[in-house]
Amino acid sequence: MNPAFLKKVKRNDRLARWVITIGGMAIIFSVIFILILIARVSLPLFLSPEKALRADFQLEQAQAQQVATLGVDEYLETGYLVDRTGRFDFFTVADGSPLDSVAPAGEDTQRRLLTVDSYGRLNHALIWDDGSISIVQVKFFPFFDAQNNNQRSIRHRVEVLGEFPAPESGMPVRSLARSDGEERQVRVDLFADGHLQATLQQREESFLGDVEVTEETHTLSRKSAGAVTALTMSHNGNQLYIATDAGEIERWDLSDSEDPVLLEVVHAFADQRKITALDLVFGDVSLIVGDARGELTTWFPVRDEEGVWKLTRIHQLPGHNAAIDYVSPTLHDKSVLSRADGRVQISHMTSERLLLTIDPPGEKIATYALSTRGNGLITLSESGRVDSWELDIPHPEISAKTLFGKVWYEGYAEPSWSWQSSSGTDDYEPKLSLTPLIFGTLKGTFYAMLFALPLAIFGAIYTSQFARPRFKGIIKPAVEVMAAIPTVIIGFLAALWLAPLIERSLGSLFLSMILVPAALMISIALWQAARKIDPLKRVERGFEFLAVAPVLVMAVAIASVLGSGVESWLFAGDLKQWLFTETGNRYDQRNCIIIAFAMGFAVIPIIFTIAEDSLSNVPPSLRAASLALGASRWQTVWRVILPSASPGIFAGTMIGFGRAVGETMIVLMATGNTAIMDLSIFNGMRPLSANIAVEIPEAPVDGSLYRTLFLSAVILFVMTFVVNTIAEVVRQRLRAKYGRF
Amino acid sequence: MAKLEIENPIVQVNNLKFYYPGNARALHGIDIAFPEKQVTALIGPSGCGKSTLLRCFNRMNDLIDGCRVEGDVIIDGENIYNRNTDIIELRRKVGMVFQKSNPFPKSIYENVIYGLRIAGEKDRSLLDERVETSLKGAALWDEVKERLHESALGLSGGQMQRLCIARAIAVNPKVILMDEPCSALDPKSTARVEDLIGELREDFTIIIVTHNMQQAARVSDNTAFLFEGNLIEYGLTDQLFVKPRNKQTEDYITGRFG
Ligand SMILES: Nc1ncnc2c1ncn2[C@@H]1O[C@H](COP(=O)(O)OP(=O)(O)OP(=O)(O)O)[C@@H](O)[C@H]1O
Ligand SMILES: [Mg+2]
Repeated sequence: MNPAFLKKVKRNDRLARWVITIGGMAIIFSVIFILILIARVSLPLFLSPEKALRADFQLEQAQAQQVATLGVDEYLETGYLVDRTGRFDFFTVADGSPLDSVAPAGEDTQRRLLTVDSYGRLNHALIWDDGSISIVQVKFFPFFDAQNNNQRSIRHRVEVLGEFPAPESGMPVRSLARSDGEERQVRVDLFADGHLQATLQQREESFLGDVEVTEETHTLSRKSAGAVTALTMSHNGNQLYIATDAGEIERWDLSDSEDPVLLEVVHAFADQRKITALDLVFGDVSLIVGDARGELTTWFPVRDEEGVWKLTRIHQLPGHNAAIDYVSPTLHDKSVLSRADGRVQISHMTSERLLLTIDPPGEKIATYALSTRGNGLITLSESGRVDSWELDIPHPEISAKTLFGKVWYEGYAEPSWSWQSSSGTDDYEPKLSLTPLIFGTLKGTFYAMLFALPLAIFGAIYTSQFARPRFKGIIKPAVEVMAAIPTVIIGFLAALWLAPLIERSLGSLFLSMILVPAALMISIALWQAARKIDPLKRVERGFEFLAVAPVLVMAVAIASVLGSGVESWLFAGDLKQWLFTETGNRYDQRNCIIIAFAMGFAVIPIIFTIAEDSLSNVPPSLRAASLALGASRWQTVWRVILPSASPGIFAGTMIGFGRAVGETMIVLMATGNTAIMDLSIFNGMRPLSANIAVEIPEAPVDGSLYRTLFLSAVILFVMTFVVNTIAEVVRQRLRAKYGRF
Repeated sequence: MAKLEIENPIVQVNNLKFYYPGNARALHGIDIAFPEKQVTALIGPSGCGKSTLLRCFNRMNDLIDGCRVEGDVIIDGENIYNRNTDIIELRRKVGMVFQKSNPFPKSIYENVIYGLRIAGEKDRSLLDERVETSLKGAALWDEVKERLHESALGLSGGQMQRLCIARAIAVNPKVILMDEPCSALDPKSTARVEDLIGELREDFTIIIVTHNMQQAARVSDNTAFLFEGNLIEYGLTDQLFVKPRNKQTEDYITGRFG
């Protein structure tokens, strides 16, 4: 060979190798890059919460002892202390320098505050030593100074929401009060002899503007035996919970001003331990119970078998080593703060995670207040030190258990795997379990493959082994064109045409599932008999399907005619109703039958093409060898062709599987998208892919939902990756075993 | 045309015409008969129709779409182109060994018993015994008896071809057709297969297509010379090679064409 030419050949060879290597590497890297990109968004879900001490200052001992409670704005700029005279002293958080000071309940030097019962958004029920109560609310609002460069400052205001005079029956030992700020306010008092009294004020404004206040006072006769140790009420004052030192909880309904009802007395703990702290989780559904053993639990009423609502223990949160003396909710999510022995813990109800511990060394926290957005905490230690903490708890509701395990959500009858990311209200408990979505993905894929796999593989066997080459030349490109149909069109047709059609003719569908195979069997038997007759022998092989087509059409036609008749004869006229009453299967219009057809339609071409190619590529010499040994065509296919083509068929199946797993448009359009964990073919599902498509536009960027969706994308990615890897490994094995081509 | 008188032929061909699709006639009326338990070689230049003729004997031509056969092929007293012929039965009676060895991607054991398996034979001891006798018959036993359950694809080319012969004789055919069985083998393997053919003649009728004159002379009892779809000369191998009666035959075997 000409040396120059040889050089050129070698150079081209090198070049080609480089191009291929670089191309392959680029693909691998971009795939990994995409995975990293997605994973990076979801990663912060698993980061631990953080706290940072922003500022601290020391109060004088005398002043510190006078503090009844404190509070802070959500910007962590302005804080306030409430002293025993009911005076609100505002200060700058950064250095403790005093701002103004107000006494919303009036300057009365005689009255002293017994305690302050804080609830909700900076609401304080000031409980005076003369038995009266004032409910006040602190409001912070940002102010932008137009004169001064639009500089933002935080202004504040203190409003009185309501007043209660002292009860006529004497001095209570303990009180609490709630006001909804408009119509209703409630106070509940505990007296030294252990009985309770509720005072319910209803303010009504007539259309002329006259305000009429009606007040009802009721004695609440307790059924519990122990001494009352903790009380709490919902924000609107409708629910009252009373706990005792014998581990009992009483649940009262105060919504009817004329008739308070004791709903139940629960013996919460078998060991009758003392309950030391009560409050309600944001949303007023779950009750937080702290006890003398330092355990922290949440409870809500669950309806039992007889239909009676029973307060039930739901979550066990990380506890303390000492008796819990105070619990409080956060005001934007389902987290719980609890204090024991001077340290404060923040934990989340749903995920049962311990988020943060506020435990300044050498100090014991006497009082604390959380900002309404939960991003700041101000604490007053027994030594008089005021610390302000900046909290960063980005995804408290996320844990391995909430993502994959069964969780007992508020208002649910039992623990469940559930995906219900959001609702209209703030106090909603997000349900972010990926399990039903993974289940949905697998369910849809399973039914689609159940339908597609036999059709595609038997179709491929027929076209490659039995059909005439002429027909193969038509069938194969036709099936390949099927693959080019946009899935949105398939989904659209499935949802708007197929789903109603199948719903209408469910009986016919099932009937044809019996009739079609039966008709095929009969016609094959007839055909075998007829082949003995001479002229029919001339009908050549490879044209069988021409004879089968009318049989199939006829079977389906008969099924559709008889369908409704059979339905009324066997299933009392309504198969769907029958399914529901007899088998408990709810029939959804958009169900897995539709998915099987539609998604099957999308994956059949892929499986068919790959399987057909690999079947056709089995060397003809093997086929000849088998036939020459006296094997029938079917034996040849079964024993020689199929094993030899198995790597290809398997690869086609797995690629089809991967396609079905990732398929989005069809499932999005043709299923109800309800995230249920039910294998029934008569209802739908919500797969990972469709879930991402549905939710991502509405998920606030960098929120828990957003990151969870990215996490589900990672799972989807991993699922397809695992499937493809298994496919490749198995294919290589099969190839080593059967292949030499 | 020279003819060989044969008593009780096992394969009798009468005026066989064969058409490939598109009416391309490849055989123009062949009359030939093959004696039982002898080796007959089919020789002739490339494209003369040897393989076509051979494939007519086990109806492998049926795989070709749109081909057509005229005339009779009578094997064991039955016309195999009869409408009632059971092709499966026929192919069990008439085995075939191909030019390129084509073992199945299965174990050696499974390869040998393939014909029995598809006939529904399940008796383990019978299968074991048949594997041994067939492999011994194909002079392969000693080489593979340790690795019967390993893949047949791990054998050498010559071993594979002998495995294919073992596979063919395992079903106990009457006739074995061989289409250039040694063309892909080295001289040593060829010699082994040729020895094997010599041994197999004891039990089987063998019809072998070959391009190798020496091979035909060495292994066969009779030789038929085909040319352009016609049988030109047919006779005892010793006579045909030494004293061909036909000019074309002489030209061919002396290497003047083909
Ligand atoms: N499948 C086919 N379709 C059409 N024509 C064919 C086919 N197979 C063979 N032929 C033709 O039939 C004739 C005989 O072919 P055949 O294969 O029998 O020759 P041969 O004698 O075996 O040749 P060789 O020694 O090269 O194998 C040739 O002209 C060939 O072109
Ligand atoms: Mg040939």
